[in-house]
Amino acid sequence: MYDTPNSERDVDQKEIKFSARKVQVYYGDTHAIKDVDVDLEDKTVTAFIGPSGCGKSTFLRCLNRMNDTIDVCRVEGDIRLDGEDIYDKRVDPVQLRAKVGMVFQKPNPFPKSIYDNVAYGPKIHGLARTKGELDEIVEKSLRRAALWDEAKDRLETPGTGLSGGQQQRLCIARAVATEPEVLLMDEPCSALDPIATSQVEELIDDLRSNFSVVIVTHSMQQAARVSQKTAFFHLGSMVEFGETGHIFTNPNDERTESYITGRIG
Amino acid sequence: MADSTAQTPPSGGFDHGSLAAGSGRLKQRRAAEFRLKMYGIIAIGVAAAALVALLGSVVTQASKAVTEHYVVSEITIDPEVIGVTAETPPDEIARAQFGDLTEAMMEAQFPRATGRTAGRELGEIISGGASFELGDRIAAEPGLIGETMTFEFLASDTTDLYLKGEFGALRDAEASGLLTVFEGDDGDLRVSSSSNDFGAALRQVKQHLYEDADSLRTKAARQENAVRVYTERAEKADSEEDRQRQLEKAESARAKQQDLIDEAAALERRAAGASGAEKVDDENISIMIKAGGGWMRLTEVNRATAKAELLTRVSLPIENSDDWTLYTSELPEADRKVTDRQIAWIETLRDQGRIKETLNTRFFTAADSRAPELAGIRGALVGSLLTMLVTFSLAFPIGVLGAIYLEEFAPKNRFTNFIEVNINNLAAVPSIVFGLLGLAVFLNVFGVPRSAPLAGGIVLALMTLPTIIIAARAAIRAVPPSIRDAALGVGASNVQASFHHVLPLAMPGILTGTIIGMAQALGETAPLIMIGMVAFIVEVPGSITDSATVLPVQVFRWSDFPERAFEARTAAAICVLLVFLVLMNLIAIILRRRFERRW
Repeated sequence: MYDTPNSERDVDQKEIKFSARKVQVYYGDTHAIKDVDVDLEDKTVTAFIGPSGCGKSTFLRCLNRMNDTIDVCRVEGDIRLDGEDIYDKRVDPVQLRAKVGMVFQKPNPFPKSIYDNVAYGPKIHGLARTKGELDEIVEKSLRRAALWDEAKDRLETPGTGLSGGQQQRLCIARAVATEPEVLLMDEPCSALDPIATSQVEELIDDLRSNFSVVIVTHSMQQAARVSQKTAFFHLGSMVEFGETGHIFTNPNDERTESYITGRIG
Repeated sequence: MADSTAQTPPSGGFDHGSLAAGSGRLKQRRAAEFRLKMYGIIAIGVAAAALVALLGSVVTQASKAVTEHYVVSEITIDPEVIGVTAETPPDEIARAQFGDLTEAMMEAQFPRATGRTAGRELGEIISGGASFELGDRIAAEPGLIGETMTFEFLASDTTDLYLKGEFGALRDAEASGLLTVFEGDDGDLRVSSSSNDFGAALRQVKQHLYEDADSLRTKAARQENAVRVYTERAEKADSEEDRQRQLEKAESARAKQQDLIDEAAALERRAAGASGAEKVDDENISIMIKAGGGWMRLTEVNRATAKAELLTRVSLPIENSDDWTLYTSELPEADRKVTDRQIAWIETLRDQGRIKETLNTRFFTAADSRAPELAGIRGALVGSLLTMLVTFSLAFPIGVLGAIYLEEFAPKNRFTNFIEVNINNLAAVPSIVFGLLGLAVFLNVFGVPRSAPLAGGIVLALMTLPTIIIAARAAIRAVPPSIRDAALGVGASNVQASFHHVLPLAMPGILTGTIIGMAQALGETAPLIMIGMVAFIVEVPGSITDSATVLPVQVFRWSDFPERAFEARTAAAICVLLVFLVLMNLIAIILRRRFERRW
């Protein structure tokens, strides 16, 4: 895992999941995202890196329209998921979010049991018809989030009683329970200790086989470890996008280089 | 610090002085802190004292309503008097003339109670409600007609208050001589004692005369003021006619003053008279003798002799008896509701062991009544309950839905801002205004029955609504946005996120606010008076459209009644109200503690 990513070979064969063109985001009068063009591939981990306030989280939240909940936020441009414009008037953001799951910076399990946390998504989307099916989904999701062994004996205990790392994995289990196609992760490890971080990173690597994962991170090592593609954001623009190995070893833009070497950020 | 320019500080450019306390500034600061602490302690002390005084006075008052008295008596259910037989249907039996029967029973026990005044006084010993209770009892058991039974007759409020010592206690004057009583030629009783047993009473009577004279002189002194005012007006008068009139007024005030002074002087002369008998009237203390199986009252007193009149039957004459007691009552008969004769009767009953004191459960089982001994708060309690039900079922859903909409869905624009400001303003509107609104809109336009819990509940719901909305909004806002994000993140709609996650988490806060709002509504009087819930209602309301009253209004009404016995009942009703309020607040606190979440 800690070696140089060796997944560059097969990236080209993958189909495009998200394609964004000329995306602009405004918070009131502030122009937060400027002209972002990016193609995110299926079954790939894409990392967004950049200094604080550069707009990477904002852009991430555009991908499942979480920005809709902010009144002053306005999104322009074209973002397509499998060729479908997600900002089309006919698109229901709720349906979109079922397809594009999200894991947040701070672990935010519902103050309910572990089981209910995972089962909530499938329940509201009607993914399980019987209790048995629901049990299966919960187990499968917890296994995918590498939490099953720790949690299987305490499914009815509150999710808030878990440790920070476990909580974050629970949130990941909750996100994958609705069988999303894309998983957005907004600095998922920033509130975790190194051991929990490495567990989550391993998990992300596993998730790649089923999902397209987009991760926002402040840690360049993390980006290097888990991602195949990396996008560097600076001051609301996407400066550079490419193979992770390429970005970290031989960036095209000098701002990317400055950031990676620690001169800006 | 002032000389820091002169002295070079050791380092850093500023001298902090010694670490030990004692420098001027430090002392000042400490003094200021100490003062502030003291102010706080004083403030809390004042508040606590006020609370203790309030609760203390209410509870002391209310303690007089804790028990009630019964007169236990044998009574023969004479079918002739009540005019019904065992075959009469029960509801007719209940309406029969049991009042006459009760009256006859009392007159049989105290045969001297003829004549209108005495008869009325005797009737006041037992509550008017007692005969109805007897009627109910017989209606339930018609077989008792024609039988003799023992029944507990509820004592009247006056009897009850006397027994609780409200009119001052009878004091045993500890007579030591032998008593002789015989009937004189003029019909008065001649009383004499072998020692100067009436001397102390005589002194008291004279003392009382002095006190009366004093109060007359005070009154006379007040007339002085009137004289001065009229004289001044006369001096400033515009016309001769007016001047004349004012002078006349001044003259009459002066004459009145002179009368009062004369009267006082006469009383003082009477009191100062070294020898001779003194008349005892109903404005002076009462002196009573229990002897020969009955009671007498002194009408004229000297040291060892007196004139008396009979209060109850006494076997006369009495000669050199040592079996007698002399009682005095400080409160003049004219100043108390219970007459000397009634005291004699009650004391006789008490001596016979026929006065029974029991816990006053009637207070909780009876509805309102004009007679304090019959009055209870059941009607008001049920009325309050029904009103609160209506209030809750209207204010809670509307308030919570309103809060959710404003907090979660409403666009933030000028219109919603305007609504927000007005909801906050609504919370500060005087409650009587809601009463006016209820009267004008609900009663007059929509024809909601007046005096009904429905109308009261609607009005109180309007009053409580802003409290609930504000509390609910605060509670919803306190739910961390991460929970909402989490729900939205897994594809829940706004409504699902609100109702599945935000609302359950905010519920303890919302309920706390609601309970506090309801407690406010429970104690509200003014708006209910506007919509006619202040009426006198004897029936316990059965539904929300029946006429009803509520606890605080009941308190308000009772406090207005002239009967002394209502004082205790008012206080007792306040206690019940307070208990409910404390309970509600306790529930709110428990809810808050139990379900408080830390994120």
